[in-house]
Amino acid sequence: MTVDVPADLSPELNFDTLPPEVRQLKEDARRFAQETVKPLVQQLDQAPAEDFDWDVMRRGHEIGLTRAAVPTDYGGLGLGMLGVATALEEVAAVCPGTALVFGATMLGQAPLLLSGDPRLQARYLPLFSGDEPVLACNAVTEEDAGCDLIIPANAPHARNVMTARRDGDQYVLTGRKRFITNARFAAFASVFANMEGSPGATGLTSFIVPLNLPGVVRGPVADKMGYRACLGSELEFHEVRVPAENMIGGEGEGMPINMAQSNMARAAVAGISTGVARGALEQAVAWAGERVQGGELLRRHQFTAAKLADMTAKVDAARLLYLHAANTVDTQLPPPAYEPAVAKLFADRAAVDVADAALSLVGARGYLRSYGVEKMLRDAYGTRIYEGTPEVLALTITESLYAEDDAE
Amino acid sequence: MTVFSSSEMASDVFGRLFDVLLEDEQFVEKARREALSVQLVHSKPDCRIFVSSEGVVHGEPPFKAAITLKMTCDTAHALWMGRLLVPAAIATGKVRIRGRIAKVLELVPMLQPAFDSYPAIAAESGVGV
Repeated sequence: MTVDVPADLSPELNFDTLPPEVRQLKEDARRFAQETVKPLVQQLDQAPAEDFDWDVMRRGHEIGLTRAAVPTDYGGLGLGMLGVATALEEVAAVCPGTALVFGATMLGQAPLLLSGDPRLQARYLPLFSGDEPVLACNAVTEEDAGCDLIIPANAPHARNVMTARRDGDQYVLTGRKRFITNARFAAFASVFANMEGSPGATGLTSFIVPLNLPGVVRGPVADKMGYRACLGSELEFHEVRVPAENMIGGEGEGMPINMAQSNMARAAVAGISTGVARGALEQAVAWAGERVQGGELLRRHQFTAAKLADMTAKVDAARLLYLHAANTVDTQLPPPAYEPAVAKLFADRAAVDVADAALSLVGARGYLRSYGVEKMLRDAYGTRIYEGTPEVLALTITESLYAEDDAE
Repeated sequence: MTVFSSSEMASDVFGRLFDVLLEDEQFVEKARREALSVQLVHSKPDCRIFVSSEGVVHGEPPFKAAITLKMTCDTAHALWMGRLLVPAAIATGKVRIRGRIAKVLELVPMLQPAFDSYPAIAAESGVGV
């Protein structure tokens, strides 16, 4: 699989020298994670499902985490997925849930970024550059339709998909979305609905929907196993009237837009998974460096050393893959499917494997909630689900292996 | 049947379109500030146009452009006529872009004068609108 990236556009391809502005955000994100999030991480994890810490968001917003991908003309950092992914790794190494609040906001912005529509962009993107943090969300998943809305071949078979119908200069949206990160507080959602009369999801269409419109109901927050610092909930749309100009890309063009945004997001989510793995590794390294058994530090026991080495290799490999994927996504439109899928598949597996190994190394203490290792394992399982399960990613990767080169 | 009957015709229409953009001070200023250069690679019929703050160059570019846009002439026509929307064109791969995408995303909203002018330019050149 070759990628045609002009060499002079990608001096950072050696991955040792990130662009200075990306490096700056990464350093800011590391400081934010260590100084603001880390002291609160246990509290964020063990609070009731509905609790949300706006002070943490405010600090993240101050360094630009809510607008890293927003063009500079609208007050953003204009950094692309390389900036987003590297920053999210830093935050996820401490608290993946906090990282996902910012990641989901970026995903909510993605259709706007792809729209190229100056009116829509001017209306919604500056929201993220104010004094207070503003969140966005992306509403795809439904009760009966998960993979059916992200695999084109499944679209005709999708059932009970949220509908849209044109009525004058408006679209009327009706239906219900599930498992929507940030839905509780988002200012707007990127919503995907099927044009009335189109079978399954073959008329899938993308809309920007302000969540203060009449008929929008924010449902209850899901009580999740991990990622507890971010809130996932339902969104109900009861005959919600959306201006026609809020449609993105044309009627029935939602599936490719959804795939394009997913390909962008997967590079960033691979950064989160890498962060989860790194966070677990750091805890294991600290423990093995101080714990003495048999008169020796654990790290000097060969079994432990082998485990730590294996974990480290997985983290490093995951990072290289997501940096490559993010760089690829940042230099090609439409965003390619292959590199982000490979990066996410590998990083998700690394997160679970490394967190599992870390828990094993830390032993009984790793099983305690107070040590935080078990939290990383719980979070690792979450990363493996959203933005493409291993099964979906495998289909995407395999399809790329058999795809003919673009002949245009 | 394609919209453009020859490479010369396509080159003339799209070249004039970018002349319009170069009359837009905001576009020129941004292109200069960001060292922005765009290479259009159209096919069916073949047509290559290079645009920077310094002007429009037909054929081989004077240097490697920061952004390359690849599409058929029919797709370009549909895009500039507003019949094909940018996100759909990008998402479906009808338009393929190489370069710093963050720059591209900042560039797209500045193309409005070209969108506004294209129907008239096409009509003047005898392109079916």
